[in-house]
Amino acid sequence: RDIPSAQYGGRHAVTMLPGGGIGPELMNYVREIFNYCGAPIDFEVIDIDPSTEGNDDLEYAITSIKRNGVALKGNIETKSQSLSETSRNVAIRNELDLYVNVVHCKSYPGIPARHKDVDVVLIRQNTDGEYAMLEHESVPGIVESMKVVTVENAERVARYAFEYARQNNRKRVTTIHKANIMKLSDGLFLEVANRVHKDYPELEHNNMIIDNTCMQAVSNPHQFDVMNMTNLYGTIVSNVICGLIGGAGLISGRNYGDHYAVFEPGTRNTGTAIAGKNVANPVAMINASIDMLNHLGHKEHANVIYEATYQTIVNDAIRTPDLGGNHSSTDVVENILKILSTKRVN
Amino acid sequence: PAAHRAYSSGVRKVTLIPGDGIGPEISAAVQKIFTAANVPIEWETVDVTPVRGPDGKFGIPQAAIDSVNTNKIGLKGPLMTPVGKGHRSLNLALRKEFNLYANVRPCRSLEGYKTLYDDVDVVTIRENTEGEYSGIEHEIVDGVVQSIKLITEEASMRVAEYAFQYAKNNNRKKVTVVHKANIMRMSDGLFLRCARDTAQKYPEIQFEERYLDTVCLNMVQNPGKYDVLVMPNLYGDILSDMCAGLVGGLGLTPSGNMGLNGALFESVHGTAPDIAGKDLANPTALLLSAVMMLRHMELNEHANNIERAAFETIKEGKYLTGDLGGRAKCSEFTNEICAKL
Ligand SMILES: Nc1ncnc2c1ncn2[C@@H]1O[C@H](COP(=O)(O)OP(=O)(O)OP(=O)(O)O)[C@@H](O)[C@H]1O
Ligand SMILES: Nc1ncnc2c1ncn2[C@@H]1O[C@H](COP(=O)(O)OP(=O)(O)OP(=O)(O)O)[C@@H](O)[C@H]1O
Ligand SMILES: [Mg+2]
Ligand SMILES: [Mg+2]
Repeated sequence: RDIPSAQYGGRHAVTMLPGGGIGPELMNYVREIFNYCGAPIDFEVIDIDPSTEGNDDLEYAITSIKRNGVALKGNIETKSQSLSETSRNVAIRNELDLYVNVVHCKSYPGIPARHKDVDVVLIRQNTDGEYAMLEHESVPGIVESMKVVTVENAERVARYAFEYARQNNRKRVTTIHKANIMKLSDGLFLEVANRVHKDYPELEHNNMIIDNTCMQAVSNPHQFDVMNMTNLYGTIVSNVICGLIGGAGLISGRNYGDHYAVFEPGTRNTGTAIAGKNVANPVAMINASIDMLNHLGHKEHANVIYEATYQTIVNDAIRTPDLGGNHSSTDVVENILKILSTKRVN
Repeated sequence: PAAHRAYSSGVRKVTLIPGDGIGPEISAAVQKIFTAANVPIEWETVDVTPVRGPDGKFGIPQAAIDSVNTNKIGLKGPLMTPVGKGHRSLNLALRKEFNLYANVRPCRSLEGYKTLYDDVDVVTIRENTEGEYSGIEHEIVDGVVQSIKLITEEASMRVAEYAFQYAKNNNRKKVTVVHKANIMRMSDGLFLRCARDTAQKYPEIQFEERYLDTVCLNMVQNPGKYDVLVMPNLYGDILSDMCAGLVGGLGLTPSGNMGLNGALFESVHGTAPDIAGKDLANPTALLLSAVMMLRHMELNEHANNIERAAFETIKEGKYLTGDLGGRAKCSEFTNEICAKL
């Protein structure tokens, strides 16, 4: 994949799309933390107004990401009720051909959760499948919605999953499907995964039907290692597993294509109901910003921010209400800054 | 339900499909318990093993179809679908034959059987005839395939209506419609609108709209947030299994299929060939399905008595089958319930 080369002085320009709900406040925390430790990133902030019908803001955002190669993103709502209006989140992923989404669900010790010590990597097809958004009303009251599976995309995501497993010393890839019902589409997805597996003989590969997967995930998530799945199953499984280990405010997600990378919270929530109340958990977005720093090669900044965040929620137990704590968002951020003040980054 | 009232004083006939594997054992257990509870129903046992019809194709025997069509109500154990024998899933055939348009699965934590969640009490209601299960698929060009999800106003209204009616009849407070209309704007949008319109007719039931992903997230964190959920086919398939997972698996959760031509209640677990014929199976899922059936027939008192006896037996923990961590045989568990009755 292409990694943008740094500009003058080793700095990178990154597109920032705060989105709606809690997005803008979370982005402010990230900027505060980056400024504080001198992370060499210049953000180009683009607000997308969810209430407009036109797509000028969106086009501008996509152009900016194409120029910078990298973005940090909140969730963008599509307020319009107009049926021709497509989701802007989907539009961004499709235009940039961000064909894979990676969510590493790893438990934090000590955080209240239904299951402890979970460590699963979810790899999801990110651009077609159920999100193809090809729909029509053939006759009034009868709607058809197309799910598209292509060999090309199924292969890219399967290859990513097996490659990830190999490079990260994982043992097994599980492909998630419903090929007993959707024999052609999910059947193809599974068939391609089986074929790609042949290039990775040292890895195990098994498959599981999506409904059973969810039942297994809530009763024994430890049986999973790396999971490979279609778009819709990805959103289901990532929300289930994130829910099991602490909710929407912890885990980050990464979207990759051959040319661009977009980082965001793993469960892609807007958080409208908790916006502006100083209660949103800033950790998922901070983790997304850490992923972004790592991607750009700023490992040292990534590490100190990671350690300060980890220490804050694990050792110091400064936690927002979603993690069973009684601290505010700013308490969490201030504690991170306090820890950062004791560290040096070159 | 109004139509059944006329029968509730007399003895009603119910079709029983014992099924394969552990099916016959757990069916016998249910029959025994019903006898002990003096339930005024008469079982008509039928075999659904596929037979070759006049057209040369294998299908459900006509006698079984006639039985359900006459009785309008049935109880069914697990069925095995032989792989690659040229006939499709029997479950699917039954669903088609009797137009079973809504699948209802109550999921409740059982007192005395400890799982990670002790606060689950949700009912999933799943559209059962269309959606992602339309079976319409094709290869457009080499390497590109399409599956069509079909959503119709008729089926969406029907299942929404059933959900609100269920909530009302069972003293439930809230109905949540689960959808993904932010992405599937037209198809899930239509389903959502049908639920919204139906909600208008039931002002006494609270109504909310939630995204599928948000429900997945919240359900595993705090299942107490939900009550009755209604949704398109695939989401229902997934969420009902997930909710069963929260309370300890398919061995305990009942299920009912509501149809235009009748209602069929069933256990959703498989045939468990590994323990079949050994008197080891847990009949609870089928028994609770039978209890649902009794409520559907408005034999509520009998339903409550049997349910209470089953829950008490599980709570006491003296006669639990292997899947619940006990050592009792199916017959011992069954006898204990009968003794309580
Ligand atoms: N960063 C966060 N910190 C704490 N809680 C969060 C965070 N992000 C999401 N949540 C919670 O997770 C749940 C799901 O959030 P989400 O924003 O997806 O809700 P929603 O139902 O999709 O509504 P909307 O998209 O309109 O905000 C909500 O209860 C929300 O408050
Ligand atoms: N009612 C039950 N009581 C006890 N154990 C059960 C029961 N139902 C299922 N099990 C156990 O759960 C496991 C999975 O059962 P399941 O019935 O799904 O078997 P299966 O091999 O998938 O059968 P099928 O092919 O009919 O689906 C088995 O080990 C079985 O023993
Ligand atoms: Mg299922
Ligand atoms: Mg099975």
